[in-house]
Amino acid sequence: MKESVEIAGPEGVDLQQPRMGRSPGKMRRLASGKSTWSKMLQNWELYLFVAPAVLYFLIFHYAPMYGIQIAFKNFIPAKGILNSEWVGFQHFERFFNSYYFGDLLWNTLSLSLYELAIGFPLPIILALAFNEVKNGFFKKSVQTVTYAPHFISVVVMAGMIITFLSPSSGMLVRLIELFGIDAPKFLDDPSWFKTVYVISGVWQNAGWGTIIYLAALSGVDPQLHEAAIVDGASRFKRMLHINLPTIVPTISILLILNMGNVLGVGYEKVLLLQNSLNMESSDVISTFVYRSGLVNAQFSFSTAVGLFNSVVNAILLVTVNQIAKRTSKTSLW
Amino acid sequence: MGKGKKGWALLLAVVMLTTTLLSACGSPDKKEDKGSGSKSGTVEVSKEGFPIVPEQINLTLMAPDVGVQNWNDMAVLKKMEELTNIKFTYNNAPKDSFDTKKNLVFSSGEYPDVFLAAGLTAAEQMNYGEQGILIPLEGLIDEYAPNMKKILEENPSIRKSITAPDGHIYALPVVDFNQPWYRNPMWYNGKFLKKLGIDKLPETTEELYTYLKRVKEEDPNGNGKKDEIPLSSVNLRDIRTWLLGAFGVYEEEVYVDDNQKVHYTPMEDGYKEYLSYLSRLWNEDLLDHESFSQTSEQKKAKAQNNQVALFSDWHAYMTMGGEPGMEDPMFVPVKSDFVDKPVIARNRGITIGAFAISNTNKYPEASIRWVDYLYSYDGALLFSKGPEGMLWKYTDEATKKKEYLPVENIETVRSTLTPNFGIAIPSVTTDELLKGLKTDFDLWVDKESKEKLLDKGSRIPFPILFLTSEEQAEVNVLSSDLNTYVRQMEAKFVTGAEPISNWDKYVATVKKMGGDRMQEIYQAAYDRWNSN
Amino acid sequence: MVTAMKESRSDKLFLVFIYLFLAAALVVVLYPLIYILSASISTPKFVSSGEMWLLPKGLTLDGYKLVMQNPKIWIGYGNTIFYTVLGTSINLLVTLPAAYALSRSDFIGRQFIMAMFLVTMFFSGGLVPSYLLVKELGMINSIWALILPVSASVWNIIVARTFFQSTIPKELQEAAHMDGCTNMRLFFQIVLPLSAPIIAVMALFYGVSHWNSYFSSLIYLNDEMKYPLQMVLRQILVLQEMTAETTGASISGDIAAAMNNKAEIAALVKYAVIIVSTLPIIVVYPFLQRYFVQGVMIGSVKG
Repeated sequence: MKESVEIAGPEGVDLQQPRMGRSPGKMRRLASGKSTWSKMLQNWELYLFVAPAVLYFLIFHYAPMYGIQIAFKNFIPAKGILNSEWVGFQHFERFFNSYYFGDLLWNTLSLSLYELAIGFPLPIILALAFNEVKNGFFKKSVQTVTYAPHFISVVVMAGMIITFLSPSSGMLVRLIELFGIDAPKFLDDPSWFKTVYVISGVWQNAGWGTIIYLAALSGVDPQLHEAAIVDGASRFKRMLHINLPTIVPTISILLILNMGNVLGVGYEKVLLLQNSLNMESSDVISTFVYRSGLVNAQFSFSTAVGLFNSVVNAILLVTVNQIAKRTSKTSLW
Repeated sequence: MGKGKKGWALLLAVVMLTTTLLSACGSPDKKEDKGSGSKSGTVEVSKEGFPIVPEQINLTLMAPDVGVQNWNDMAVLKKMEELTNIKFTYNNAPKDSFDTKKNLVFSSGEYPDVFLAAGLTAAEQMNYGEQGILIPLEGLIDEYAPNMKKILEENPSIRKSITAPDGHIYALPVVDFNQPWYRNPMWYNGKFLKKLGIDKLPETTEELYTYLKRVKEEDPNGNGKKDEIPLSSVNLRDIRTWLLGAFGVYEEEVYVDDNQKVHYTPMEDGYKEYLSYLSRLWNEDLLDHESFSQTSEQKKAKAQNNQVALFSDWHAYMTMGGEPGMEDPMFVPVKSDFVDKPVIARNRGITIGAFAISNTNKYPEASIRWVDYLYSYDGALLFSKGPEGMLWKYTDEATKKKEYLPVENIETVRSTLTPNFGIAIPSVTTDELLKGLKTDFDLWVDKESKEKLLDKGSRIPFPILFLTSEEQAEVNVLSSDLNTYVRQMEAKFVTGAEPISNWDKYVATVKKMGGDRMQEIYQAAYDRWNSN
Repeated sequence: MVTAMKESRSDKLFLVFIYLFLAAALVVVLYPLIYILSASISTPKFVSSGEMWLLPKGLTLDGYKLVMQNPKIWIGYGNTIFYTVLGTSINLLVTLPAAYALSRSDFIGRQFIMAMFLVTMFFSGGLVPSYLLVKELGMINSIWALILPVSASVWNIIVARTFFQSTIPKELQEAAHMDGCTNMRLFFQIVLPLSAPIIAVMALFYGVSHWNSYFSSLIYLNDEMKYPLQMVLRQILVLQEMTAETTGASISGDIAAAMNNKAEIAALVKYAVIIVSTLPIIVVYPFLQRYFVQGVMIGSVKG
């Protein structure tokens, strides 16, 4: 009976993933029948809890948002944001009319999705594997070692990649040639750029990515494992049916968030690995904007491109979130 | 779901509300109009000699900081304060982020009194000058800056290059008459030359080709391996200008020929010849196949391994390693059959935007006098080498002959004495300045430059000039796509990914992207500059 | 771990596979770390020529000497630790309660608040208005400019919320409410003690971002004595990229000499800088790992 009331309540869709091992029919005995106001009153402290965050976002994020208008203006710092002249969609048109617009969009999207396809699952697998290993020196060392590369600065990282892949002296190239294979021109060949970028990224960040799943895995209920062992379930099966489902909400949320950043490929590393030969596959939106800015600081243009990215990203996020909501009941809102 | 929609609508309302509210208070522009009305206050500014003002005045200054020494502790600046009675508060920003900070400062409505070494671009000078943020300096120069005035009178082209289209001068340049190189020169590995018995450096593209070929085949480093790299480059940027000259092209983007006609290089026939030539070097493995991907450190490592025959750097030893030496000679510009003699680009001699005064400065007269000292022999010397007695002393003051004191790591000590380290500080560099301070190596480099570049008729490929804001905006738009396309195609032509037979198609695309228009814009700007 | 029961043969095989997988990961990831360590004590020439590929070559400690001799390094260290501790504390104070409130399905208005937060992930006014805001608030050249504008991150709030949603049993909250326990007590006395793993993760994420941050100090700080470590290190490397960028386009002799001087230093200290700046934060990690132990907390409450 109360279940139905709850569904009709303001929080129509319940975000909460039913926890493993709890019978879904179990009652939630909240004060769900009461009116909205009394519910709000009862939970007044929760408003206090979010107040600092709300205040923070209002002051430091919403207040400066009037700056978005410079995408539609010809911003000159000395005139200020409000007094610069309006130019409508001129900057957007410039971007869309660029000879390279199609290439840029494609390169950005494909690089991002490629990275997601390789870089997203690996931390999950790694975390599940860590979880099977006894706590001890080995586990601690592997965890710490895989975590460490995250802190290598982009400049040094790119420098290392270029050194390792140098056709004349690169360590990796020599390793490949040891097997009697002619190493491809990793740095010059446009078809290799994305792979180099993605693999090096995974190399650097997979360990760091496990942290969040390790935390989520700590939420696994040991009783479930005990029960499953009694039933004769193998380690692998338990991993698949107990550990994995525990982190599914986290996985879904992160996937949704990642989809909302598909056009957000940063410029730094790409720029450092970019050269005139691999340009056709390495030029992404952010590097294009960066180069335009080199000629002369072009605030309005880069804001316009940023706004375009944001809109596309937001649309993607909302779409993916809707899909997730339908299929898994896990969603951002 | 319905609830969700309502939520978004409400949210949007809040956003719009906060936006309007805050935009009202976010505007920095119309503050009280400080200073500009009450120029120079009550202080008497002496027109010559020191101190500049009888009682100490305080000013703020913004400059890029290379992070070696706190400016408050620099001997040169302390000395200036003593001399002039002007005390500066330094609102510096780290060099690598200076441009970001500069833009923020211009947006914020609170300006430093003086911008030093701020690298104000032509567009910035125009914008901020038009807004009244930077004040016109030409009047002040006439009255209070005799040194600058003299320089401008003696060099009308400098005046033309620093005068904005509205007729005002908003920023002063760095003037360097002593530095003839447009880009870092190229240098030959002297050991290879000796080994191969070369007593006359290549003077044509064919001779150069033959020499490079010999390097490749005759194992001049004598290690029994054919590991020599005849010509090594980082992205071609470092060698481009020198090789273009062999085909009658002065510079990589825009240059003016002897008949006052402006050319956009990527569409020139000479440029095509240059591409063919490089492509030939590439195909025969004479041009380093890592030229597009390597870092300059990797290039240096190869040179220090004694593998490279020809390369570009400020001085040869900086790439080859070791101490400054005279065994690696400078590249002699070569010529192709395409032209009668090579063209050689020469340094423009000025760097614009090195000094400007904002409208909040109460003492513009005193400020300009301060900077004018830097355009005198004594001031330039002070900023370049520090006060006498620290790094150098006079051996004969009458002839301005000096010598270095026995100080170790002169460059490192210098960086702690003066701000003139790695940034473009206003100054004028003349022969007198370094009299007696030049080492044998310096004199040798001067001689090489004179014989190989200056005496062969090097000249400035295109003057520094102002575009109008409309022209500037159009160039910004055109050049971002054009540069990308041109550099990409250059790499393809050179490596053979694109056959040179596709040249016409390439030129058509460049024209479609606005190559002709670039030429027109710069021609118009040049004609204006020329007629002034 | 879970139980000391006898492992079946397939389980053993599975474990062997896991160990092999992790050992492989260890080797692959360890390599660049050893490389950096070796590079930091090698002569730069051998590093860029590829001759130094595993063990140090042309042993030199000059890189470390140059970094350590800089008096600003220690001030930077002190500042960074201070900013990181203070900043992270504020981050946790803002993030955790908000995330918890948003995790509660009986919290009316959370969809709206969530949406409000999410919007900021995509749309921002940009640098100029943010700078003006900080200036209006009088925080230029104040340490608060490094801390308050980054009081919380939406991403982290969402992650924490997801954790609370999926690990804090709802029964707990219901039972607490039945006992007349206020939300305040529920959060501080029951939820937080159960949430050690997410607190550790949040502290780490926020802490690392403070530790690595330099951009805010770059634009908001004028006083060198307030510079964090990353700023000091950047100053040591400052001209390195420039040399590569300009390769001598119309510069004066003085500048060229200065740049060359700086570039040599940069090549020498590049790797040492990485070690100096990241070692502390890498050392912290093993200590945080004990909070990720599976099931201990929840199990004890339920049992």
